[in-house]
Amino acid sequence: MSKPRRLGRRTFLQIAATVSAGGSILACKEPVTVWKFFTPEEIATLDAVCERIIPADDYPGASWAGVVNYIDRKVTYVFQDKQSQYRKGLAGVNDTSQALFEADFTALSAEQQDSVLETLSSGKAPGEAWKTQSPSSFFNLVISHAMQGFYGDPRHGGNKDFISWRMLGIPHPPVRARRPAAPVA
Amino acid sequence: MRLRLPKSPWAIAACIVLASFVLAVPAGSIYYVAAGGRACARCHEIRGAYHDWTASSHKDVSCSKCHGGLFTPDLSFHLHNLRMVVKHFRGEAPEAIQLRAETIPAMMARCAGCHKEEHDAWRQGPHSVTYKKLFLNEDHNKSRALSDNCLRCHGMYFNGPIRDLVEPLDMTGPWRLKEDALLDQPAIPCLACHQMHRDAGEIAERAKQENPREKTVASTSIYDRRSRLHYHALDLPIPAMKDNGAAVKMASEKNQAVCYQCHSPEPAFAVNSGDDRTCVGVHEGIACNKCHVAHSMETKTTCKDCHPRDSNCGLDVETMDTTFRSPDSAHNIHFVKCADCHKNGVPEKKVKVEM
Amino acid sequence: MALPHVNAVVIGSGAGGGVAAKELAEAGLSVVLLERGRWQTAFDYRKDDLQNQRTTQLGPAFGPHDLKKNPRVRVDDNGNARVVYANGWDYQNNAMCVGGGTLSYGAMAWRFMEQDFRMRSTYGDVENSTLADWPISYDDLEPFYEKAEWEIGVSGDDSGNPFKAPRKKALPMPALPHSRECEILKPAALRLGLHPFDIPMLRNTVPFNERPACMRCRWCVGFACECNAKCGTQNTVIPKALATGNCELRTECLAKEVVIDDRGRAKAVAYFDENDRLQEQPCDLVVVSCSAIESARLLLNSKSKLFPEGLGNRSDWVGRNLQGHSYCGAMGLFDEDVYDDLGPGAQIAICDYNHGNPGMKTGAMLANEFIRLPIQFAESNYVGVKRWGIDHKNYMRTMFRRTIRVMGPVQEIPVFDARVSVDPAVKDFWGIPVARLSGSKHPHCVEVSYYIAERAEAWLKEAGAIQTWRQPSGMGLSGGQHQAGTCRMGDDPATSVVNRNGQIHDCDNVFVADGSLHVTNGGFNPVLTILANAYRISDYITREWKGSKFR
Repeated sequence: MSKPRRLGRRTFLQIAATVSAGGSILACKEPVTVWKFFTPEEIATLDAVCERIIPADDYPGASWAGVVNYIDRKVTYVFQDKQSQYRKGLAGVNDTSQALFEADFTALSAEQQDSVLETLSSGKAPGEAWKTQSPSSFFNLVISHAMQGFYGDPRHGGNKDFISWRMLGIPHPPVRARRPAAPVA
Repeated sequence: MRLRLPKSPWAIAACIVLASFVLAVPAGSIYYVAAGGRACARCHEIRGAYHDWTASSHKDVSCSKCHGGLFTPDLSFHLHNLRMVVKHFRGEAPEAIQLRAETIPAMMARCAGCHKEEHDAWRQGPHSVTYKKLFLNEDHNKSRALSDNCLRCHGMYFNGPIRDLVEPLDMTGPWRLKEDALLDQPAIPCLACHQMHRDAGEIAERAKQENPREKTVASTSIYDRRSRLHYHALDLPIPAMKDNGAAVKMASEKNQAVCYQCHSPEPAFAVNSGDDRTCVGVHEGIACNKCHVAHSMETKTTCKDCHPRDSNCGLDVETMDTTFRSPDSAHNIHFVKCADCHKNGVPEKKVKVEM
Repeated sequence: MALPHVNAVVIGSGAGGGVAAKELAEAGLSVVLLERGRWQTAFDYRKDDLQNQRTTQLGPAFGPHDLKKNPRVRVDDNGNARVVYANGWDYQNNAMCVGGGTLSYGAMAWRFMEQDFRMRSTYGDVENSTLADWPISYDDLEPFYEKAEWEIGVSGDDSGNPFKAPRKKALPMPALPHSRECEILKPAALRLGLHPFDIPMLRNTVPFNERPACMRCRWCVGFACECNAKCGTQNTVIPKALATGNCELRTECLAKEVVIDDRGRAKAVAYFDENDRLQEQPCDLVVVSCSAIESARLLLNSKSKLFPEGLGNRSDWVGRNLQGHSYCGAMGLFDEDVYDDLGPGAQIAICDYNHGNPGMKTGAMLANEFIRLPIQFAESNYVGVKRWGIDHKNYMRTMFRRTIRVMGPVQEIPVFDARVSVDPAVKDFWGIPVARLSGSKHPHCVEVSYYIAERAEAWLKEAGAIQTWRQPSGMGLSGGQHQAGTCRMGDDPATSVVNRNGQIHDCDNVFVADGSLHVTNGGFNPVLTILANAYRISDYITREWKGSKFR
């Protein structure tokens, strides 16, 4: 059982803060979004980009594995310094997409999406966002985060049901005896 | 008797402070309880947990039934809720929501509230072993060193390394638990092998393929302490066991994958190595739960399910060799073979098996 | 308030410092062991593929934890300096925690070969290098190698290695049962006339020293061991040091400088404690064991009237000759699965190419690689396939389970300009000037790496690889977990920092006991040599130390 705690000054201040926050609880009716950092539109674009980086075929891809979930979580915490790159970069993806195909990235066919990403990768892509940020370094950032979200530990929000490890045939958690291995003759 | 109101402005102020204080303590709990489960999901921190719950077989059980609510008589519970709400509004919410180890006993009592039979059975079986019995066992600690790996299967919810649980960490002792409160707590709680908030989406699809008659998705899964996640039995590996190098016929029962997580063989997957209990010989291919009844792990009655009907020789198997329960017996039920008794070759069946 | 005087302050609790603390404490000296990191366990970052000491996408698990507080500066070949952090390769991170690198290492336990102690005599002068012989021989170190093998604990079987220097006593523990890679590589090596054997490892394969045996999981190199089967100083000598009652371990304490008195002797160590307060610990002697980069930085930051350029730096040799290894090798693709999910992975080695390579002045041991993590493999891109899209996915599915990598650490030819200095401008959180890394490898190491990569490739082809890729080394400065060389040991004060006993030439009560001493770094993982040298130096200290001074 939890140990009973002495009511300290800190706790009291927290209580006071909560009482005053009471009003805002009621105001907090429906969440604006389930995402911590990205807007739903950004998530749609990012998800589509990641899905082209690790596409589904006979095995699920980045989208199924929840790679955007990983990126949203990490950009809120450990990768906070990448927030503006994402904000600008995802706008840039649509800029380039508009310039090439006159439609947003999510509306394109897989082949068109790939050619947008190839354009980013080349380092020279049309779009307002790319005047202050390199398209290729942004794309490289998304590639590495997508890899982490797909192949990393599920505890971080990606690799749902360790789908990538199942794809590679890695048993998880591995079956291992607790007992020390027998001495070798 | 007439209630006398205080007259002094200081006393009035004190009463107001006291009253608002009493009301404010469960404010965090109010927040979670208000408007049923959906309110819980108003904080995006627990949206995922909420979503998984709506897809689980417990979707008709309210949050407060398991997690506690407004009337839970535990001050620290309410203060903890309060702190979480404060953190939420300060933008200090943790990256992932985890079940606290301290809440496990209360949680188990609530499981027992509905699943009394299962709980009683578990209570009588070996899996209800306490921290005291496991970690202060002198015979064990003198022969095998304690390590963080012990906590993989025992005390998996303990929130710390082994050095925070037992001292001293040597093989001479005497040993003690650092937290007295843990002594009589079960080290393998319900949530070790059952997952409450489970995403029924894909798992449900596959469960249906496995067994079309199944209406809900079984909660059988293993709690993996490393990632602090449950992994469903359908996702877990069943090792390809070997008996003297030859492949063993493995039962197709998926739930036994959970057993194998702790009753595991050594890396070469040799039968009976490490903590393995895979059946070979006459019982090869039979899953753990064919004989071991869920929760109690009892096997008293299950022999009769097959014997004497399924006996090759028509003899009463329980009187043939009464050492079959002993792990030291050459005729242990997990690996007894026909040839163990019939040294000069196994005779033809005397009795036809009638199905 | 001044802290009470002690006999010895040991700075850094890794391979060198852990051993020194235990040896001095057991000899009856009062010891303070300073460690800038925490006392971590396997519970920290529990086997996280994204956060350990080898894959650091979310940061290094075993220190430094606060990246921004602990920067370094890296100078590229064009002279451009930039600030680097511990999650990047350029930082050349080892670890910062109790046990240092030994908590999370792969734990290969090599004795250097006899020639490794006399590289200059064996190969002669090498242009643009500071190649030299060690002031000691293998025979001087042999008893201490043995002590390290038995006190820390080594398993393996090197009886099949005809090139090894003679050992008096066999290893205390047997090798692990062979993995699939081993079963494929061993007969192939024998067919080629090579001499394969089981790598000695600081890992329990049977219960030993009151700790259990390895359970062979895949979270090995880069991780703290959950079974406590991996032997480091944190679970062997440091607990023993503390048990004497003579040693106090102070964690989260970062040494600022060795304080020198007017006569040029160390009188104290100044450090920032766990609350970031500056403390001064008075002492009779100091053992510096912070790993090659940070030991050099500490000495360079220990400026005094008599040593204005830093302690032991009269000849400008502190921080010079930074070296790790020029890693190289090859990967081979096989017809069928070779991945068997068994740690530690690395198991079989050959020493046929450590010396005597035609036209070459150095060489390397070759061994199969440690077990791989999917994220490592996904990011490595060994074969130059497109990094994203269906090509990438197919690469993972074809290659992950069907490839073997054979790699080797080419012994480096030391270079004077591959160095650690202290940055004139960038300071860490505590205001101490940070390490500035500059220079590059000797070009001959890269030549040798091509040769070794070819040998690795030939081995894989003989083993049945249907396609192979060579992986030679680049010119970039190396250090990382094998960092060495920055406080060279030698008899001549003009061309070294410490004498054969690890004692700073100009300052007889300051010792260095870590990889910094290494004149050359062997074609092997260096930890057993660091442990052995720490035993040897401690042996000298405890024999020669009389009360408050040396005989």
